[in-house]
Amino acid sequence: MRRRYKRNIEEIRNIVADTEQFFAQENIDESLRMKVDLSLEELFVNMVTYNTETVCEILIEMKLIDSGIEVSLTDHDVDRFDPTESRPVDVDAPLADRVPGGLGLYLVLKMADSINYEYHERTSKITFTNKVAETDV
Amino acid sequence: MFDIDFNNSGAVVVSGRLDAAQAAKAQEFLDRVLDECIVDMAALEYISSAGLGVLLKTHKRLMVSDSELKLINVNSHINDIFRYSGFDKLFIIETVSS
Repeated sequence: MRRRYKRNIEEIRNIVADTEQFFAQENIDESLRMKVDLSLEELFVNMVTYNTETVCEILIEMKLIDSGIEVSLTDHDVDRFDPTESRPVDVDAPLADRVPGGLGLYLVLKMADSINYEYHERTSKITFTNKVAETDV
Repeated sequence: MFDIDFNNSGAVVVSGRLDAAQAAKAQEFLDRVLDECIVDMAALEYISSAGLGVLLKTHKRLMVSDSELKLINVNSHINDIFRYSGFDKLFIIETVSS
């Protein structure tokens, strides 16, 4: 699957629909859906929210890999931002110290089995994988 | 598709997908809650960090007046998100099986 999306959070519904279709078409284990949906949404929203220096559409690619799925998001004409270097969130902090926001990338790093960031000629590409645990195969 | 409403018992019932595109709708509704409130999540299929932010903001506002949100009928996938986020230490959560 390879498709470009407008820089609008309303596109989430189209991304979800395309992900659902890809899972069905490739017969990918549905137990991975929540993790893939969450990582895709968080990374897409992050690009839309913070990469405001570009008007280019965001390219999303999905491919079947052994025991799972590989997903990449590519954003053109943007500054470097490596989500794998995002600051950790203290999830043990008391309620008074917790503020809305900041959890998205933390959850992506927690959910993905692997995540890789590339930056070349003002193009950011984030690739993550989710695999069915060997005990579940 | 996301929906939020009160049921006959006064609990808030949420259903569908609470993602970044629906967070404003959820926040607008929960801003009307003024005291102790149960949120029935039996029909909630998905939640992202945007939805977590809505719950956290509402919970913090209610805690000022010694009230809180109680989350019930939480499915295992969403409970995983709550645990990863540390929400299991901040909210009273009842899972589907508990």
